[in-house]
Parts: sequence; C-alpha cells; structure tokens
Amino acid sequence: MVSISGAGPTRRTILRGSLGVAGTMMLGAGGQALAAEELKGKTVVFASWGGAYQDAEKTCYCDPFAQATGAKVLQDGPMNTAKFRTMIDGGAPDWDVTDITIDFLYSGIGDQLFEKIDKGIVDTSRLDPRFVNDYGVGCIVWSYNLGYSTKAFPGKDVPRTWADMFNLKRFPGKRTFGDIVVSTLEAALMADGVAPDKLYPLDVDRAFRKLDTIKSETVFWSSNSQSQQLFVDGEVSMGLILNGRAYDAAKKGAPIAVSWEQNIQSVDYLVVPRGSKNRAAAMKLIDVMTQPENQAKLANMIAYAPTNPAAFSGIDPQIAPWLSTAPDNVKRGFLINAEYWRDNLKRLQERWTAWKLA
Amino acid sequence: MTGDGMDLWRRLRGTICILVALYLIAPLVIVVIISFSAASFLQFPPPGLSLRWYVNLFGDPAWTSSLIVSVQVLIPSATLATLLGTAAAYALVRGRIPGASMIGAALMLPIIVPGIITAAALFGVYRGLGLNGTLTGLIIGHVVITLPYVVATVSSGLRTMDPRLEDAASTLGARPGAAFRRVTLPLLLPAILSGLLFAAVASFDELIVSLFVSTARVRPVAVQMWSNVRGDVDPTIAAIASLCFAFAFVVLLAEGFLRRRTGIEGPR
Amino acid sequence: MPDAGVKAPLIGGRALLLVPAMLVLLLAFVGPVGWLLARAFTQPQRGLQNFEALWQRQGYLQVLWNTIEISALVTPICVLLGFPIAHAMATGSPRLRRWLVFIVLLPFWTSLLVRTFATVILLQRNGPVNAVLIALGLTAEPLSLIYNLTGVMAGALQVLLPFVIFPLHAAMARIDPAFMQAALTLGARPVRAFIRVYLPLTLPGLITGATLVFISTLGYFVTPAMLGGPHQTMIAQLIQDQIAQFGNWGMAGALSLLLLAVSGVLFLLLHLTIGLKAAAR
Repeated sequence: MVSISGAGPTRRTILRGSLGVAGTMMLGAGGQALAAEELKGKTVVFASWGGAYQDAEKTCYCDPFAQATGAKVLQDGPMNTAKFRTMIDGGAPDWDVTDITIDFLYSGIGDQLFEKIDKGIVDTSRLDPRFVNDYGVGCIVWSYNLGYSTKAFPGKDVPRTWADMFNLKRFPGKRTFGDIVVSTLEAALMADGVAPDKLYPLDVDRAFRKLDTIKSETVFWSSNSQSQQLFVDGEVSMGLILNGRAYDAAKKGAPIAVSWEQNIQSVDYLVVPRGSKNRAAAMKLIDVMTQPENQAKLANMIAYAPTNPAAFSGIDPQIAPWLSTAPDNVKRGFLINAEYWRDNLKRLQERWTAWKLA
Repeated sequence: MTGDGMDLWRRLRGTICILVALYLIAPLVIVVIISFSAASFLQFPPPGLSLRWYVNLFGDPAWTSSLIVSVQVLIPSATLATLLGTAAAYALVRGRIPGASMIGAALMLPIIVPGIITAAALFGVYRGLGLNGTLTGLIIGHVVITLPYVVATVSSGLRTMDPRLEDAASTLGARPGAAFRRVTLPLLLPAILSGLLFAAVASFDELIVSLFVSTARVRPVAVQMWSNVRGDVDPTIAAIASLCFAFAFVVLLAEGFLRRRTGIEGPR
Repeated sequence: MPDAGVKAPLIGGRALLLVPAMLVLLLAFVGPVGWLLARAFTQPQRGLQNFEALWQRQGYLQVLWNTIEISALVTPICVLLGFPIAHAMATGSPRLRRWLVFIVLLPFWTSLLVRTFATVILLQRNGPVNAVLIALGLTAEPLSLIYNLTGVMAGALQVLLPFVIFPLHAAMARIDPAFMQAALTLGARPVRAFIRVYLPLTLPGLITGATLVFISTLGYFVTPAMLGGPHQTMIAQLIQDQIAQFGNWGMAGALSLLLLAVSGVLFLLLHLTIGLKAAAR
C-alpha cells in the first residue's frame, strides 16, 4: 500500500489495509471459488468516469487488486451509456468492470446488459443492503450539487437554489449542465417551483421550457473533468457538478464552492458487462472495491461516501461535511428516482439530444 | 501615388504576416510552457514550474503502452504505405497507363473523403471480421490513410527527375530492373524517404480511424490523448503534445534537408 | 503522367506495380465505404426511410445547416488571411520565404488534436488572449471565445490556413513579375493593375485552396467537438453519435452519403473549372 498525498492514511487504515490484503490471500489459498494465483498475468479492463475520480479508483481499488493477484488493470473511459449498449450489441465488450450510475443500472437490467454478480466471489454481506443488487454492487454514494465560482460571487449573495441558477439577472454569467438528461430535468423543474417530493413523474415539457430560458447561456460538459475545468478556467459562474468533483477542484485550488440545497443524491454501481471474457477476475476486482479500507481511502481522496458502513471510521473528519451522506446534506437533498429513469432514460436521452441540437 | 499604394500594401501584408505567424505559433509555445507547469489544472500562466507531467507521462503505463502501440502501428504501416505507394507512383508516372490521372486521383481519395466516413466504414466492416481492437486492424487503416502522402511525394519526385537518365541506362544495355536499382532508386531515394516521414507522422497523428477501431487493450497515443482531453484535465497531455512538436520539428528539418538535396515538393 | 521515353514492352510490367496499392484501396477503403453508404438504404429496412427521418428531424437539419454555415464562413476568412502570406512567400526574399514556409508547415505537421487543445487554452476565459485584450483596454470583462462560433472559427483557421496558402503560393510563383511591372508602366494604378492583372492569374490557386478548405471543413470533427457549443455541432459529430451512441447504422450511412455527395459535387466543380491536375498539385 502506497501512501497518497493529501489523503494521509491513518495507521489504522494501513493496518486494516494490510489485514485486508492478507485476508484476500487467505481466501484464495483456502480453496474458495477463486485462487489469487489463477489471476496472475490476466488483464482486466476497468471503465469509469475519468479524471480525478478514476485516478482515485485506480489507486484505492485497482492497484491493491493488482498487487494481491498479479493481474493487470487497464483503465478506460469515460463511461458512456450509449457506448456501453453498442459494445454489448457488438457481442464482445471491451470492458470487464464498469462504474455506472443507478439510473443506468436499473435501465440496463431490463435490457440484460450485465452479468449476474457472483456472490461466491464478491462478499456482498459487508455492504449496506440498500446498495446490493443482483447485477451490480454499489461503490459510492454521491450527489449532484449546485456549484458556483467564488471569484464570480465573492460576497454574501451567492446562489443557493436551482431557481438561482435560472436567475440570470441576479447571478450573471455562463452556466453549465451535464450533457445528460438525468438530473438536469429535475433541477429545471425545482427551479420552476416544483417541490422535490412532487417531481416524479417528471413534467418533461415544463422542464424543457424552463431550460429554454437559459439555453443560450449554458455550456454542456461532456465529462466530469470538463465540469471541473470550466470552473478552473472561469468559463462559467455556476453550474451542476458532482460533489466529489467540486471537492477535488477546490482541493486543487479552484475557486469553487457548492450549495447543498436541493442536492440530488445518487449511487454508483460496479457491473460486469454481459459477455465479458474475464468474468472471474472482474468479480474479484469488484470484491476488492467493497473492502472498507479501500472505500475509506477513496472517500479521503475525492469525498464520495462509501457503501460499506465499516469504512466511515477511516474517513478524515475534515472530509465529512463534503460527503452527501452527512446528516445535514441528506436532510437538504433527496434520492433520485431510479425506477422513473429505468422506464424513461432511453426515450428522454433521445429527446435531450434533439433539444440540445435544435 | 504608385509608390504609396504599394507601400500601403506592403505594410498591410507585413502586419497580417506577423499576426498570422503569431496565431499559428502561439498555441505551440503555450502548450510547451504548460507542460512544465506545477499546477494540477491547465492554467496559464502556470503558478510554478515542474517536470511532474513528464514524470507522469513516462511513469503511467497507460501512456507508455500507448506509445508502444503507436510505434507498433507506425513502423509497419509507414513501411507498407511507402512500398505500395512508391510502386504505384512509379507505375503512374512512368507506366504510360491509360487513365493514369484518374487512378492517381483515386489513390488520393483517403485524404479527400472525410475521416469520419473512413473510420465508421472500417469500424463497421471490422466488426464482422474481429479486427477491432487489433494491431492488424489499426495497421490496415493506417496504410489506407497514409498511402496518398507517399504517392503524392514520390510522384512529385519522379516528375522532377529526368527520365532520359533511365533511358540512357537502358540504352547502354542495363536491364530494366538494374536501371531502376542503379539509376532511378538512388535519385529517387530522398523523395521516398520524404514520403516515409510524412506517412510516419500522419500515422502517429491519426485520430479518427484509430478512435473507432481501437480498444483499451490496443490504444495508440492519439486516442489516449483524445480520452485525456475529454476526460482528464491534468497537463500530462501538454507534455505529450510538446514531445509531438519536437517530433514534428525534427521531421520538418529532416524533410527540408532532403528537399534541398533534390528540389522535390512535398505532398502539399 | 504517361511518359514518352518508355518502351512499349514494359507497360504491362509497370502496370502490375499498381496492383498492390489498388488492392488495398479497394479492399480496405472503397469496399468498406461502399458498405457504409449501402446501410443508408438497407437499415433498418430497404427503402428511403432514413432520408425521410433525416428530413423530419429538426435537430438534424440544424446540424446540416451549421456545417454548411461554418464552412461558408471559414473559407473566405482563410482566403483573406492566406493571400497576403502567400504573396509574401512568392515575392519576398528567399530568407523570408523559408521562414514563412517553416511557420506554416510546423503547425501543419503537428497533430490536429494537439493544436486544437492548444487553442482551447489560448482562448479560454482566463487565457492569454483575454489577458492581452484586457491589458490593452479593449474589453473590461473577459470575452467568451470558446464553446461558440468564435472558438470553432479560430480553431478551424489554425488548421486550414496552409490548405489555402500553398495552392495560392504555387499560382503566384508562376506569375512573371514583369506582368505587374508592365501594367504599372502602362499607367495603370496599382489597385487596378492588381484587380485586372494579378488577381485573375492567382485565381486557379485561389479556387483550389478555397475548395480544399470548404471540403475539409465540411468533414470537421475534432474542432467543433472541442471548441464549439451545441449550436456548432457538425455533421461528422452526428455520424459519430449515430454509431457510438445509438448504433443507428442506417442514419450514419445516410449522413455519410450526404456529406460525401456535397464534397463530391464541389470537387467535380473544381475539376470542371480548373482541372484536376492543377488541383492535385
């Protein structure tokens, strides 16, 4: 285990980390479904969302996995739902483990995009049962937040709600939204006065009408890293950004702060694309990702909350207010409705593309 | 009166030349400076200097393996393109073939047809053949894309060469093969090498075809750069970009040297 | 070009030299492109439904319009900026010529991706260009120079200037300086002499350069993707989206056919006006 700058693993996490590695080794030696030895020399392709988050995943999940098994992990991405589908249609996916959001998990299960999680290899019992699915294992809990530039709004009057995001007079400057339909429609409706508990089913026409009002002032980020870069460059004065990405940018010196009002909470899952040629190694990698010391280390690096309850004790108290699971932040936000997106993602994604181009 | 008009034009021309030169060169200079930045983001001017992005570049297996893949693709594809292109150029210029100019134009198609069409077409056909994500697939695509550069460069070299030299050799009793080897080839060599260099650079820079037909397991530098630009925002990309400039710089100097020795013209 | 000095018996042998290159071209280029274009009429079913769908989707027509608009804007600016440079190359000292050739060629041989990326840094809100504009007092607030039309234009010009400079230079280099001199001596005013004598002689180079720029811009992918906003989405991005995002090969084929047809018609026009030989040079 290597120490990471900025993360400062405590002695306890290191100790736990080495215990964890020893544990997995013993697991293999004990004639479990899979011996670590068998994975030596294998290559697993891991696809995620790029940038700071994937760097953290590489350090906290992939490197320990490679060290314990002798397998190699190739990083790919950024993850893209359409690319994922095309890959499965082609028959032989390039990816073995992919980090996806909960809405795509639900929508993809219906389309049989994933391999079933092998619970003989992945120890799901150590996770919060809310984040365990037959086809995916939750790895982080996070939120979509309103981020704003502290350079553009240095005073007391800073944007707090989604309505502020659509108020060009009071808060001038360019906006940014993700080039994704999920979360953007919710934000637009809340800005238009819909209460979070009355959002679903979404009034899509109303949301697009609201978005029309700031469309010409909006830059759409195509990757999470770009959302950070837009704030660093001062290209936008506020926008929708993931809590961990905002934390990472702020940590690296960018003038950015977030509001927790009406934050939209979500979960990332690890899945194995259907037809993966390295199923066993993929499952083993997912198992390493659920270990508490690895999850704690990741939270310390990028402020995404763990799904393994035991990991919380290893998290730096200074990070805690940045986590979407902090009680105050939970209170001000709500969980995205994955069932709604399961049924509507494909249709609305196409409408989103058409709206954006028109 | 006359003098004034010319003078004004000269001044205008000079100003535009300087501005455009700045405009063409400035991005290159800025990228080189940023590659030595100490900041974690692409920031200009950089708050401090460091070599960390170069260290990162050569320490990160994603970059080093993509560099290896690029070389594994570049060497065979540039070599093949040079062999095929030189043979074709020779036949076109010296072969007295009916419709030579149409065939010549057809060989230029891969650089005239928008890259996205070639890329999508190869990706689609490769799917059935299992060639996506393989070195073979990349090499075939790169031969197609780089062939026109070689044909153009070598044709241009052949045209500036006096055919009577070869004729003299055959009149003096040399067999056609020998005449080619002893007379044409040495005279043509700078043009062929020039074509090889252009093909190598074009292969190294090629993005769109590679983007479609490569995967994480086999991924050339250009695609790694693309995913870096789209995904990661750290200045590692500036470091690799600076190395690309250095490479282009050296190639241009070498090419200029070859050209001065023969007086041939490049593909454009 | 056929050469008179070659003896008849060799023709067959030399034609064989073309076979490998043509084979590669047919199998790895013409074949696949033909396959892709055929998708337009065969997927999801036989017929013209892809073209109907294309016609009915507002967003797609908008993208086609963006593509033509951007190409039509980039081309004249390229010519206006390229002309003085080509002229300086053709009439300046050899030293100046060498410098200019080098300055134009160095970026030309550096990867498009790298230069576009550099342009992003150059033009971003906190970038050097905005810093200079503010320092000169030309603007109080930094200007939005990327993720809009300005960004795409700036990036495209960066890449396309050489395409117009070199053909123009080739045409200018062939003009005998005595022509202008004669016109001036005969009493023509410089502007008149330029328009009546010089400009027509550069026309083949100018048309070639302009056509090359226009056609290249039509197929642009990297530049609008990195420097443009949604309003600058171009047809190549739409083709990529159809394949990578929607797996819609029929629509990808239809869009490719459209792009190819427009480029082909323009190329044909170029051929008819000044001849392919001059264009290829």
